[in-house]
Amino acid sequence: MSHSVRAAPPVPASPEQPVRPRSSIGNRLLVRPEVGALVAALVIFVFFLAAAPAFRSAESFFTVLYQASTIGIVAVGVGLLMIGGEFDLSAGVITTSAGLVSSMFCWWFGVNLWIGALLSLIFCLFVGFVNGWLVMRTGIPSFLITLGTFFVLQGANLGVTKLVTGSVTSPDISGIDGYDSLGAIFSSSFKAGPVTVWITVIWWVLFVAVATWILTRARVGNWVYAVGGAPDSARAVGVPVVRTKIGLFMAVSFLGWFVGMHTLFRFNTLQAGNGVGNEFLYIIAAVVGGTLLTGGFGNAAGVAIGAFIFGMTNLGIVYAGWDPNWFKAFLGVMLLLAVLVNLYIKKMATARRTA
Amino acid sequence: MTLIEMSGVGKSYGAVSALHDVSLSVHAGEVTCVLGDNGAGKSTLIKIMSGLHPHSCGVMTVDGSPATFASPREALDRGIATVYQDLAVVPLMEVWRNFFLGAELTAGTFPLSGFLSGMKIKDMKRIADEELRKMGIIVNDINQPIGTLSGGQRQCVAIARAVYFGARVLILDEPTAALGVKQSGVVLKYVAAARDAGLGVVFITHNPHHAYLVGDHFIILKLGAAVLDKPRAEVTLDELTTQMAGGEELAELSHELGR
Amino acid sequence: MTFIRAGRFVALAAVVALSATACSSGGRDKSDDSDGGGGGNAPGSSGYTIAFVTHETPGDAFWDKVRAGAEQAAKDEGVTLKYSNDPDAAKQAVLIQNAVDSKVNGIATTLVTPNALAGAVKTATEAKIPVVGLNAGIEQYKQLGALMYFGSDETLAGESAGEKIAAGGAKHPLCVIHQQGSVSLEARCAGLRSKVPGTENLQVNGADDAAVTSTLQAKLAQDKSIDYVLTLNSQVALDTIKAQEQAGTSAKVATFDLDQQVAQNVQDGKIEFSVDQQPYAQGYLAVSSLYLYLKNGNDIGGGRPVLTGPSFVDKANIATILPFTKNNTR
Repeated sequence: MSHSVRAAPPVPASPEQPVRPRSSIGNRLLVRPEVGALVAALVIFVFFLAAAPAFRSAESFFTVLYQASTIGIVAVGVGLLMIGGEFDLSAGVITTSAGLVSSMFCWWFGVNLWIGALLSLIFCLFVGFVNGWLVMRTGIPSFLITLGTFFVLQGANLGVTKLVTGSVTSPDISGIDGYDSLGAIFSSSFKAGPVTVWITVIWWVLFVAVATWILTRARVGNWVYAVGGAPDSARAVGVPVVRTKIGLFMAVSFLGWFVGMHTLFRFNTLQAGNGVGNEFLYIIAAVVGGTLLTGGFGNAAGVAIGAFIFGMTNLGIVYAGWDPNWFKAFLGVMLLLAVLVNLYIKKMATARRTA
Repeated sequence: MTLIEMSGVGKSYGAVSALHDVSLSVHAGEVTCVLGDNGAGKSTLIKIMSGLHPHSCGVMTVDGSPATFASPREALDRGIATVYQDLAVVPLMEVWRNFFLGAELTAGTFPLSGFLSGMKIKDMKRIADEELRKMGIIVNDINQPIGTLSGGQRQCVAIARAVYFGARVLILDEPTAALGVKQSGVVLKYVAAARDAGLGVVFITHNPHHAYLVGDHFIILKLGAAVLDKPRAEVTLDELTTQMAGGEELAELSHELGR
Repeated sequence: MTFIRAGRFVALAAVVALSATACSSGGRDKSDDSDGGGGGNAPGSSGYTIAFVTHETPGDAFWDKVRAGAEQAAKDEGVTLKYSNDPDAAKQAVLIQNAVDSKVNGIATTLVTPNALAGAVKTATEAKIPVVGLNAGIEQYKQLGALMYFGSDETLAGESAGEKIAAGGAKHPLCVIHQQGSVSLEARCAGLRSKVPGTENLQVNGADDAAVTSTLQAKLAQDKSIDYVLTLNSQVALDTIKAQEQAGTSAKVATFDLDQQVAQNVQDGKIEFSVDQQPYAQGYLAVSSLYLYLKNGNDIGGGRPVLTGPSFVDKANIATILPFTKNNTR
């Protein structure tokens, strides 16, 4: 491919758009997807600071961060996937599948947990690949395909666990070799002054940073936006749409594996029925963070803020000491508010643009 | 110089024949206009040349050697670029990202190579801006989503992109269909400019007036077959218009109605 | 947990490559593969078919034991057992109707939503199929036409737990509800509150252990006056212990339900006591009572519900019970 200037034909300048006013910094800031979420997060943060005395401590803040990280890590992948124009409803259940595959394999065969973790990783990547491959191959909406995977995994989690262990709880893995080393990677914590920092928080920040880099600076990031925004146009200019989308599904299942490993090594046993329902939390985090449901728009920082809003609301109600029966109602209102603020700011930004 | 030569090319989807026995040639520095009504087989013809669907019979030669494309990428690699009416750009993406989509400038060093390699964003923005200016397209901000540009501007960005990336054959699918008179004029100027720069242009349209403004050779498709195939010297705008409007059928109808 | 692990990790990582394929400790006990029950009857040898219908949400360890008990009874008595479940009341009614249509000899069912199930149970009794209730529906089983009932009295269980907690000197216990809108869980907490008025309820998402832990951690940090935590299933009890370590409080923990790890924690003194409603016995007795009724016309319970709980497991009796938890029968 030659970058020949030769081909550029000399054309008289078009009379259209004679002036080139640069848009103001404020305006450019406002159209960024995460700005609405950031404002919402600040409002909610101040709200809980005012309403919940127990919320006003560094310890509480890091508990919130931990809670947000367990949702946020998978949400990063789900956010990327949604920018790429697809959904994954199996993302919640696969965290449990990941832990179960790993723990039961090692328990049954009495092998080192590192092997189980690796096997589980391969399994999860395979599930992600199948999700993506089926979606691309059949053209059936990913909502349906992954709903199928969701049920398959949910049933297999229960059925296989029951077959292997005779109950629906996975065996305790704390005595198996490799527990300490894997625990250090997935579920250790350290003290920084009075606060306990869970390693998932650090991983979360890292994953968000990597995703941000990929979306803004890497070649494949360009493709992710393109396959989500206009897959046919992307294909027409030579973007490998199929590979990009399959890769995104695999990224989600990789991050699901990661959180599954955390849960396994923190709690040592797993209930085979767990993880169900979290897939919606990931999607909520992504949407609150400014990701467009139809694809092609959003970023990783926004998704991270979305997960933070969720963690903050979730625990803020507890810190405030309110009647727990209202828990979900509060949660719903908070999330709706966040989405509305988000929408309002986006509208304001586009209105200014066209004015 | 002949860039693409098609002889007896046909395409059927199962039992349905969408295109049969069509011959055309694309020469450097010439505009070949393909005219036809909806369903005449224009889009099938484009899909064969651009690599979206392979043809099922006949021979297509590119630079003198037979070719069948498995993907748009293969066609692009042979210098055949297609600008679709509705698929030209990704509206939500920035102008510079659209300009380089699928052909990003990268500074890949291991392990960040291949699809993970980082983009030379500064260069990309600068080049995109320069190339657009050369074509006379001035956008407010190279970072604005391309969806905020007008339809004509979007087509022009897509054409500028194809030209910049060394396209030798430019296939334009109804570039003026959704545009007003003024916008169409802008696009037609770029078509002429691309031709003058030595590209072979395939201009697909259903508007004979637009075709006649820039065309060197005209082909009219009807029900998947060519009903007119003449160089500019042998055809008049009236003839094109009549053919497009229905030609002999129209004459027959006029005779029957007898007024 | 601290970064001490990281040090060990470096050493271990080097060894992993070598030892990975070798046998490792802590896995399954391979000597215990044989079926401990031994002998037993072939299914169907007594000629009876019994339908067993529950409102189990798939994946709950509790129902696993109920089912294990029912299956053991069926095996011991040569009964063909047809197990089915659905947490949705309307669908559970359909399952009962299915059992009636397939002309089983007896039906054992949970009666958690008596009004929704009344119609289906009525068609069973009209078809002269004996019905026994289990686990839930202690107030309504007779009125619905069920012959016998095996289960725990949830309010009584909550009250008894409350007495023990009050005796432990608690003023402000926390009752952790892991499922929203469950009548029996609310009843347990209400029972606790009737004995200790300072009881506070906390709602958690039981399907996500990380969420349960951080919510409890937040609650314990928010209100330092909480001196006792009562959880309503075993997994939440284990999560509570994790949260407690983080929050650094000295609140005591008690729980409903029992499993191997809870039993271990009772022995280690981390859990004060467990309120066991003996799910295995519920399943076993429900099937056995139908067997006896069909075979011999027996009526168990003297016209009153047979209570399988609350049964308390604490330091005093844990030594006896711990081995049974390993078999998944307690």
